[in-house]
Amino acid sequence: MNPPPAWEEIERLYHEALELPVCERKALLARASPALREEVESLLEADSNPGLLAAPPTHVAADLLNAQSGLAGGQRVADYEVISPISVGGMGEVYLARDTQGRPVALKILRRHLIVNAQAVGRFETEARAASALCHPNIVTVYESGKSPAGLFIAMEWIDGSTFRAIMNAGQVAIAQAMDWGGQAARALSAAHTAGILHRDMKPENIMLRKDGVVKILDFGLARHGAAVGPERSSMGASGTISGTLSGTLLYMPPEILRGETATSASDVFSLGAFLYELTAGQHPFAGETPLDVFEAIECRPVAAIGSLRNGVPQEVDRLILRMLDRHPGGRPSAREACEVLGRS
Amino acid sequence: MTADVTELQPTVCIIGSNVSETDPQGEVTRLLAAWSSGDQSALNKMMPLVYAELHRIARRAWSQHPPNNTLQPTALINEAYLKLANAENASFQDRCHFFAVACKAMRQILVNHAKSRLSDKRGRGLANVSLDDVQPAVHQEAAEIVALHEALEALHAVDPRKSMVVEMRYFGGLSVEETAEAMGLSVATVNRDWRLARSWLIREMNRESL
Repeated sequence: MNPPPAWEEIERLYHEALELPVCERKALLARASPALREEVESLLEADSNPGLLAAPPTHVAADLLNAQSGLAGGQRVADYEVISPISVGGMGEVYLARDTQGRPVALKILRRHLIVNAQAVGRFETEARAASALCHPNIVTVYESGKSPAGLFIAMEWIDGSTFRAIMNAGQVAIAQAMDWGGQAARALSAAHTAGILHRDMKPENIMLRKDGVVKILDFGLARHGAAVGPERSSMGASGTISGTLSGTLLYMPPEILRGETATSASDVFSLGAFLYELTAGQHPFAGETPLDVFEAIECRPVAAIGSLRNGVPQEVDRLILRMLDRHPGGRPSAREACEVLGRS
Repeated sequence: MTADVTELQPTVCIIGSNVSETDPQGEVTRLLAAWSSGDQSALNKMMPLVYAELHRIARRAWSQHPPNNTLQPTALINEAYLKLANAENASFQDRCHFFAVACKAMRQILVNHAKSRLSDKRGRGLANVSLDDVQPAVHQEAAEIVALHEALEALHAVDPRKSMVVEMRYFGGLSVEETAEAMGLSVATVNRDWRLARSWLIREMNRESL
């Protein structure tokens, strides 16, 4: 076997080739040994696409440093002691913490540098207000909200469990189980609607199952008291840029919101319906390859009855979920009606 | 509630923070002189001081107004130099040495942030409260920075000078001319080194990701 080409040889031939017009490089390389030619060819190929190295890492650095304004274990925020980070989102960070009595709490913090952003503050305060106005076993309890040197914070019930996104990713859910969990989520939504509060961002990432089997709805970040407004633009994207995408997750967005109309309680019912469908059928009613496919599915693709995908789903429930996914808000049942049907099944 | 200054954590207490009380300026100036007179250990002693100051400056510059940020790493390194070194009395050589350390520190800052970002992601098994906005782009960037760092270490084994050129050009944001000056090389050499090193690194990173 031939020894690998020397670095000096590679370097010399590489620069020699670079000085030639592209069409003449092949002839030059043809005279080199196969190993050397392969080395230099692959380097020339990389030369045309400097990728990451095309510019100094200013934006990357800004993203990385922004993502890291986290608090360390042992730090205090108001009366709470941080134990460990749970998640770092674009808008806020969530930590596991303990209160003065040593009880676990989830501490959500709006990062300090985002406090200059009025919309972010508004959203955060709405979440605190909306959730603390609700007292229901299936809605996460907010203990306290306020300001601290670390930023604005919300202290809420710590939920030992997992999100329904994780549960559904793990495999198919038994039908009886899905009915029970779906019923609990519907009861929470019904209670919020009775109190005049919309959730506006119902999706499996925002619904958790505690280890003892209790379903909890969280993240009233988009919730609005009664007077609903049209869809907002989400504020910060990954690179700290205005992403321009609709906030909330597209897959759970009712058609009227996609059209820019005002959200109502029927919009929450639609989103819950999409979740229930996914939970029961094991597949999403509007799944698509691209955002445009999803748009189209939500707007006009017929939704197959769950019974055509899976046996054992009570017909009444199947009909209920399809009605929840009615394209016209007026054709959807109320959250209360959904509770009743799911409760009977 | 008013902010209690004594409670501010270092990570958030950025604005108006002073250089620490142990006079790093005197220390850095002394270490630069020691290094110029042949004390190789001065580099290792200087690194933490430069890292800390640069980290502070970078956090302030890059964490405050994310959308419109155009501040280049070089500007931050210059600021650290003015703050840490006795710029008026420093020799040309001291300045070059400082820049070499600062570019290395900048690399380390980014790599450390990227690594901790990635380990956050891995360690996050149970989400209690969902993410408002998941940030896959940042994870991608973090992974690329770590991959670049590793490829750069491999390049160092093959050709240390080229890896240093990359450290200065990319992580330090220095121009070809500034890099040539700091490293005592000709502009043509830096140009050639940079071009080959860049291709080599991109190729290595692509191979790794296959």
